[in-house]
Amino acid sequence: MKKTLEVLGMVCPFPLIEAKDAMQQLQLGDELEVQFDCTQGTESLPRWAAEAGHEVTNYEQLGEASWTITIKKNA
Amino acid sequence: MLQMAITGIICGALLGFVMQRGRFCLTGGFRDMYIAKDNRIFYALLIAIAIQAVGVYALIGFGVFDYAATPFSLWATVIGAYVFGIGIIFAGGCATGTWYRAGEGLIGSWIALAFYMLVAAIMKSGPLGQFTTTARSNTIGTDSMADTLGINVWWLIGLLVVIVAIIVFCELKKPRVKIPGLKPKKTGIAHVLFEKRWHPFVTASLIGLIAIIAWPLSAATGRVFGLGVTTPSANILQYLVSGNLDFINWGVFLVLGIFLGSFFGAKMSGEFRLRTPDTKTVVRSGAGGVLMGFGASLAGGCSIGNGLVMTAMMSWSGWIALIFMILGVWTASYFVFVRPAKQKMAARAQSSANA
Repeated sequence: MKKTLEVLGMVCPFPLIEAKDAMQQLQLGDELEVQFDCTQGTESLPRWAAEAGHEVTNYEQLGEASWTITIKKNA
Repeated sequence: MLQMAITGIICGALLGFVMQRGRFCLTGGFRDMYIAKDNRIFYALLIAIAIQAVGVYALIGFGVFDYAATPFSLWATVIGAYVFGIGIIFAGGCATGTWYRAGEGLIGSWIALAFYMLVAAIMKSGPLGQFTTTARSNTIGTDSMADTLGINVWWLIGLLVVIVAIIVFCELKKPRVKIPGLKPKKTGIAHVLFEKRWHPFVTASLIGLIAIIAWPLSAATGRVFGLGVTTPSANILQYLVSGNLDFINWGVFLVLGIFLGSFFGAKMSGEFRLRTPDTKTVVRSGAGGVLMGFGASLAGGCSIGNGLVMTAMMSWSGWIALIFMILGVWTASYFVFVRPAKQKMAARAQSSANA
């Protein structure tokens, strides 16, 4: 299952807080796609994913100050 | 005036660029010490302070400029720094952070900045000017830690350098998790400047160096101080409404430079876009700006003036302000991040228990 979380317009640290919260409700192996436009999120989201033991399956910049990251729940 | 404008803007632009590219956010750093048990940015700040302390006291030793400590306004510093710490959580960035996020196109930061400038001006030369002066005139002894302790300042600098060296050694020895990054689209120098993730310690070292060069550049124009954000931000507004050129100084060009440098960094990296916040964030940013302007004016400095510069000068006001600023950040973090998360969890547990 893949869940999409849109946190456009939210500033640091809310994208991360929302992502953590959404991840808690997912099952192992599920994916969470986060669409965000907070510059600091480009650092905090992948860092959290890596440190929490999840897998980043996709991470790309879509346009000016606009990114998407997909994280697979592994832990 | 021309020299002031040129060196101020260049120094500010370097700082804004480095902070934007390095994602250097003291508010986030202080907050994460509490909510994420992560001290990396705080350690990075200590690196910047240590580098600056060595450089600036070396310059003073070589007689490039003179520096004399002022009396220490204990209570104004404690209360002001604490309120400032609360304010930066609501504003989503410290004073410098707000200037550079404004350069990234965040309208919420423009709002925080406007209120910050306004309240700082009110506190300095407006209706609350007398209040600020009275509060800050309540002093205890000298602001110089070395003079209070009766030792040479280099002992304190040496101690800080040793502590920082131990911290850096321990941090770099820790096993590192590989952080997934974006696929590089640029190469060579463009990749390093406009794309690559910068290690916070590298960013902090650059900030320490910029903080050093700020001193002689500013002193050459008659303003014997280093990086500063609050007074110059207020000065812009004071000049705009009074037309009095006395309000224009090196610091004014410095803060304008921060905005321009950050804008340049963000634009070149594809990270600039005008972004409008929701109503809740607007109100929060505005309130944060008010608290920041009040706190920084009362404390005699923000996270840069007190937290980065006065700490490097080995002054009581710098270190005590830093401690209370962090406590303010933690207090506000509890109400803005920790408690709502707990309540949400509890509500969820409740609803699943009922189901």
